[in-house]
Amino acid sequence: MAASLVDKVMKGGGFWPAAPAFLYLVVFFIMPMAVLLAFGFVPIQRGTVQSANFTLEYLFDVLSDDLFWRVWWRSFYVGVLSTFFCFLFAYPLAYIHTLVGRRLQMVILILTVAPLLTSALVRTYAWLVILGGRRGVVNAVLMDLGLVSRPLRMLYSDFAVIVGMVQIHLPFMILPLITVLSSRDRKLEQASLGLGASRVRTFFRIVLPMSMPGIIAGTTIVFALSYTNFIIPQLLGGGGYTTVAVQVYEFIVVILDWNKGAILALLLLVSCFLFVLMITLAGNRMMRWTEAKV
Amino acid sequence: MSETMSTSRPDTADVAERGNPSKVIDRIGATILAIIAICTILLLSVPSLIVIAISFTETAYIGFPPQGFTFKWYADLFARDQIIDAAVTSLQISAATTCLSLALAIPAAYGLVRGRFFGRGFASALIVAPQMLPGMVIGVATLFFGAYIAFRQSNLMVILALTVFCLPFAVRMVMARLTQLDPALEEASLSMGASKTRTFFEITARQLVGAIIAGGAFVAIEAFDNLTVALFTASPRSRPLSVELYNLVQFDSSPMVAALSSLEILAAFVVMIVLAKAVGLDRLRT
Repeated sequence: MAASLVDKVMKGGGFWPAAPAFLYLVVFFIMPMAVLLAFGFVPIQRGTVQSANFTLEYLFDVLSDDLFWRVWWRSFYVGVLSTFFCFLFAYPLAYIHTLVGRRLQMVILILTVAPLLTSALVRTYAWLVILGGRRGVVNAVLMDLGLVSRPLRMLYSDFAVIVGMVQIHLPFMILPLITVLSSRDRKLEQASLGLGASRVRTFFRIVLPMSMPGIIAGTTIVFALSYTNFIIPQLLGGGGYTTVAVQVYEFIVVILDWNKGAILALLLLVSCFLFVLMITLAGNRMMRWTEAKV
Repeated sequence: MSETMSTSRPDTADVAERGNPSKVIDRIGATILAIIAICTILLLSVPSLIVIAISFTETAYIGFPPQGFTFKWYADLFARDQIIDAAVTSLQISAATTCLSLALAIPAAYGLVRGRFFGRGFASALIVAPQMLPGMVIGVATLFFGAYIAFRQSNLMVILALTVFCLPFAVRMVMARLTQLDPALEEASLSMGASKTRTFFEITARQLVGAIIAGGAFVAIEAFDNLTVALFTASPRSRPLSVELYNLVQFDSSPMVAALSSLEILAAFVVMIVLAKAVGLDRLRT
């Protein structure tokens, strides 16, 4: 009896080891998500269900509001621009990581992972200090150098929000790129160089297309994180700066209109998934296209 | 993007006359790459260093460059009961979330890797699903669910929601290690006469220790720092440190906030060095 039990444990014990986690997620994840879904379509007052009448009123309210579309557009372009610049800054470092010695590789890896262990809030605060007011770092340096006579207004703008998002999400772009780039087959590059292609050409025709899986992974993660972040827009965008994610927070915590908050949260989630899907599909298509060309 | 390079054709004739034009382009390309990489390194490190520098300023406002040198803001920090209480709350939440997550994650990872059962694909998809959702959605969903069953915002609610959020990290780290294990080691142990129980504890379980430490550390740090889940699930009366800091950042402009941030940066750095020494930095890359 005991032996057969040990036997089972060695083989994984069937479903039972996973049962507690499974059950936990059904109760504390699936059920809350179901309630969130329901709260978007059933009238709620002070956190209790008023009546079980299914209504699309809240959905139509939001979708027919011009303000919502303006706010959504901002969420979208902030997400796209943050992802683009994040990629632009991350790729060279990830590429160089694969060319340098072990010691320098370690330094790059530590510098990349360390920010992940500090809270995003602390890193957002750093940008308040750097961009903020007349005594902010950037203004202090610019004025000392005599480049500007009056402090520039950088905080509370698209610029501040995007800079913050790019810097805070850099590790999420660098790490998948490093993973893909360091396991790449270098023979193709050597062949390309040996056949007379320049290094730049080899980089664009061989290295970049080969790292496509890492590019897809990094851009989807960074887009999803930027699109749904509400802390950075609140702190670096200032009072009047709203994105869809900021509105979710405001409707649920400040205004206490949970119906609208729930609908906005659901729209944010669904649109985020659609964009991630689109990036993945476009990336896969590009990968096939480059393969065909090579 | 490949069109940009179309001036130099990869003809074999090019090999012979491969010289000046492509060399110049190569050099420009390498320089641009290096400049951007250096900018990225600075972007990753300088903001934290600035916060640390400013935490020692003698002025009552945040300004650059910092003036003088004082530990005044750190002393201020420890004199505030509100902040100490919040730190204690966060430590409790972090410890409870880590224990609960690991208790659920270790057997789950084991079952998902070794077990063969109906619906295994679905079970593993469900267990890593919360990772794909923003913390805010998990926080909001838990808050609504709580309201629905008349369960109020509390430390317990933060712990329950954070465990949902952190479980995928822990499960994936242990699963990654389990799939790497060499079955030959277990077979060797069995064929040399060790019992199955002994083999399990001395060969299988022992090889997972590193992954469990790394996974546990990640969960502990995330649970301590997390704001997006805690903002919706924490009770206004006992706020975790992240929520307290969030309010301070918005409404307090003294360098004390920089001091608190510096302590968090320092703690993160210490944890990372310890982890790198204990389990190797490569393990942290998942």
